[in-house]
Amino acid sequence: MATAGIKLHPACRVRREGFGLLFYDARGPRLLFAETGDLIPADFFGTLRGRDEFPEGTSEQQKTVLRKFVGRLLEKGFLREQ
Amino acid sequence: MSNKYVERGLTSPVNLTWEVSLACNLRCTTCLSSSGEPAHGELTTAEALDLVEQVHQAGVFQINFGGGEPFMRPDFEQILAACHERGIMTCISTNGTLIDAERVERLGRPKGLVAIQVSMDGALPETCDAIRGKGVFKRAVEAIKLLSKSSIPTSINTVLTRQSAAEIPAMYQLARAMGVSLRVSRFRPSGRGADNWEGLRPTPAQLLAFSDWLAQSGDVRTGDSFFSLTSQERQGLGLNLCGAAKLTCCVGPTGNMYPCAFLQTERFKAGSLRELTFQEIWDDSAIYDSFRSLRIHSCEECQRFDQCHGGCPAVAWHLKNDLNGGDPECLERCVTSIADLQGSAAV
Repeated sequence: MATAGIKLHPACRVRREGFGLLFYDARGPRLLFAETGDLIPADFFGTLRGRDEFPEGTSEQQKTVLRKFVGRLLEKGFLREQ
Repeated sequence: MSNKYVERGLTSPVNLTWEVSLACNLRCTTCLSSSGEPAHGELTTAEALDLVEQVHQAGVFQINFGGGEPFMRPDFEQILAACHERGIMTCISTNGTLIDAERVERLGRPKGLVAIQVSMDGALPETCDAIRGKGVFKRAVEAIKLLSKSSIPTSINTVLTRQSAAEIPAMYQLARAMGVSLRVSRFRPSGRGADNWEGLRPTPAQLLAFSDWLAQSGDVRTGDSFFSLTSQERQGLGLNLCGAAKLTCCVGPTGNMYPCAFLQTERFKAGSLRELTFQEIWDDSAIYDSFRSLRIHSCEECQRFDQCHGGCPAVAWHLKNDLNGGDPECLERCVTSIADLQGSAAV
């Protein structure tokens, strides 16, 4: 089935911390500390995004990093495809 | 769980324990806060709603409501609604006696924002009622049955005591039979729990047996209250250190903030929400700072130090009057204690 994009799982929340992003999954509960620095804002995954959509001004190298990061978030259930 | 981020300090707690009232219609012998009558000067509705907004602004992900019995507060559902409007997740710890079908229907409306824990302290009515009061087991079961038919994630929350220890596997089966999960909490010598400590505290052998059982029961939650007993099998499922003032904190019924629910005394008061904001207390409290820098040096030589970092400072405080003394009920001490007793018996 084709997916429209990715979004934060409804059971998850995310916020900005000094090291980057802190993800919370109420189903565990569990935490994910992501050392993303300023690469991506906390509210980015709050709306439906294309799998290859990144904030304006993201360099190709940063996109490579973020693609892996998004894959990891999907794998761990913090993001979901819909 | 990587501790480096936690020890560096977060901008706000991940979750907050909020004891909204000391009012309770039960008088459980294990109660951590000696609940019964409401506290003098509990937060007004306006103050409580203001706190919800402050907590939202701070970025707290979840509020765990307790008490007392939260539903004894007439405005409790209003407070809950304010949380849910802001996307704050909530978990309610209740004795279940004030749950009816209408309330379940109302609570279930905001999908995915509320979870409920119903307290039961034994798989047999006589075990549970001896701790919680006559007829409470039956009423709690009725509440759980209502909740299990709803979309609300529900769990039985049981406190491990000398009396209930042997019934924990049966409670697990009971929870499964009712379609809910089991959460086991640690009995701590706080409130009426301190008054009844010697009669209710699990023996070292029971704690050891529970640790073994827990290792085989990955779907049983503990609210991270047993990290001092966590076996290798459960490493990675939760914390390996005390999260007080690092990941979590507690707001008492009158708006005083504490490191955790088990240290709600003047000695550990971090600040009053009637004098300072939530964020100011989290950022600047000397008490919180002392917990963030707390190192249990007496445990550093222990082979299990990396797995529990000295255990629960609240238990150490209540039993030894020493935050740095190490958890008296940690796995290592249980093993040593049992070995010593066996040694004595052999002499």
